[in-house]
Amino acid sequence: MPPQEGDSNVSTDYTELQLDALRELANIGSGTAATALASMLGREVELAVPRALALPLADAVDAVGPADATVSTVVLPIVGEIEALVLLLFPAADAATLCDLLGVEPGSEVGDSAIGEIGNILGTSYINALASMTGVALEPKPPHVVCDMLGAIVASLLTGTVGDGETALVLDSELDVADAACSLSFLLLPTSGGVAELLGRLGVGSA
Amino acid sequence: MGELAASASPEEELLSIGLGSCIGVALVDRPRGVAALAHVMLPDAAADRDAPAGKYADRAVPALVDEVERLGARRVRLEAVLVGGAQMFDVGVGSALDIGARNAAAVRAALERARIPVRAEEVGGRRGRTMRLHVGAMTVTVKEAGGREVELWNGSSSTRRGPAEVAHR
Repeated sequence: MPPQEGDSNVSTDYTELQLDALRELANIGSGTAATALASMLGREVELAVPRALALPLADAVDAVGPADATVSTVVLPIVGEIEALVLLLFPAADAATLCDLLGVEPGSEVGDSAIGEIGNILGTSYINALASMTGVALEPKPPHVVCDMLGAIVASLLTGTVGDGETALVLDSELDVADAACSLSFLLLPTSGGVAELLGRLGVGSA
Repeated sequence: MGELAASASPEEELLSIGLGSCIGVALVDRPRGVAALAHVMLPDAAADRDAPAGKYADRAVPALVDEVERLGARRVRLEAVLVGGAQMFDVGVGSALDIGARNAAAVRAALERARIPVRAEEVGGRRGRTMRLHVGAMTVTVKEAGGREVELWNGSSSTRRGPAEVAHR
């Protein structure tokens, strides 16, 4: 999702060093996925600098993007030593463009399943990159595909990953397909325990 | 998200956008033309006393009552309308699984404690919703993603419907 005003990587609980490390993690994960997408489409895919949002729950939902935007979302839960959710968000128009690029009809059953499959492939390459960078075996669960309002999706998932009163951490990276009005974004939503584990593995854990 | 707003201006609308497992809780005093709406995200504020008043069910209801009374509403005339509390995903990590149902139970319990009747609700299901409270007409409408706006309540009679009964498309 495009950045909103006034949400420039505000941190409450994390140091700048830790946020940098998390942004780098998101960068490598989405970079790997961008390469996979580029080879699937035979087009260049550009990668924006990821954002690390560390905000109270409600503000984090708002910062991800407009709450009423309709997005196709592929959710990949990660279990194991690090618990997290990886979300791929395809805004409705961009999902249609992607279907056109793939030669399937947008909005059809085949189109929806193509989006789900692309999400699965890209999400898995994102997760594999995270796993090799952190040295943790991450176990992805089967993906879920939902097309609904962005705010409803992100709030429903964040209230589960983040406990009451804790800062929500969202790593947001955006991919753009060259010469086509098609962008998609990745969100990594770790549980609070998952963030601590990630930071420890990256060598910037709290003392 | 987590917010709370009140109004006594007929030209205004109160809006909760993108309610998934969250619940939009409306309190109205129809004769007085006063209404308030909270976007409740979680059931219980125990661990988070500094949060916005609308964020937790247990604190949102008393805060809504304070807001409408400040605008001249009479407590005995208050009526509630609920929208949201969906379960959008079958799995999650952490406690995501039944958060919508837990939110609904917590909101109903808080309303019962405050002795405020629920006149209409569209709660549960799997879809996100946007809730709109038209202060002048004192009606509540609900819209799903890509769907059309459907009237849930116009004050005439009580409305309780499951998501399957609603034609949003």
